[in-house]
Amino acid sequence: MANRDYRKVSRAGLWLDVRRRRLGMWAYTINRITGVGLVIYLYLHLGVLSLLTRGQSSWDSFVALARSPFYLALDVILLAGVLLHGLNGLRIGLTGFGIGVRAQKTLFIVLTIVSAIALGVAALKIFRL
Amino acid sequence: MTGNPFAEESKRTAAWLWQVFTGVGLVILVGLHLVANHFVAKGGLRDFAEVVAYLRNPVILLLELLFLLCVTTHALLGVRAIFLDLGISERTERRLDLVLKIVGVLTVAYGLGMTFIVIR
Repeated sequence: MANRDYRKVSRAGLWLDVRRRRLGMWAYTINRITGVGLVIYLYLHLGVLSLLTRGQSSWDSFVALARSPFYLALDVILLAGVLLHGLNGLRIGLTGFGIGVRAQKTLFIVLTIVSAIALGVAALKIFRL
Repeated sequence: MTGNPFAEESKRTAAWLWQVFTGVGLVILVGLHLVANHFVAKGGLRDFAEVVAYLRNPVILLLELLFLLCVTTHALLGVRAIFLDLGISERTERRLDLVLKIVGVLTVAYGLGMTFIVIR
């Protein structure tokens, strides 16, 4: 397996170190943190979906709760993570295949702006504004 | 450590390629899942009867199961990459691979089981 050396230890340690941080390192940290959050969410989501197996009343009670403003705000946070992780991930995939390597900083900035716009539109839709 | 850690990370190992392929699939499948379940659905979420009807559509069922497979693979490969960041030994890496494979199979089996209980 590639990359099995001492640098991994420093790489993991640098996740939350904000000193002399370049854009690539911010992109890396954002991807890791959103990734961890989304893995946790995935298993919470699968747990919540088990309510469907308990029948109509269990699920419909949850749906009523999930339509409250607090849960809708959590949906917006989730969507922010999905957009940042997904679009930044596309950039990583492209650059990994040698596509757009020189423009990757620009790509990161553009895709982050696209994420912000998409999140704004989705938040308006979620809160029915 | 270079300015861009991805330059070191993007070695084309089988795990990395799977991460990319499932990632691209997820961008599409997550988009469809979110739009279908939260933006098209009245009130942002389907009630029980609507969920059952939705999952009984064979095309939707196939897409949702593909989504489950992609998201589980992508998530667990991501967890693996984070553990590799911690500089684990080869022996620990082999054990981790085994544990993640078991977790992956159990996750997909749980999702499949739950789906078939709901639509039966």
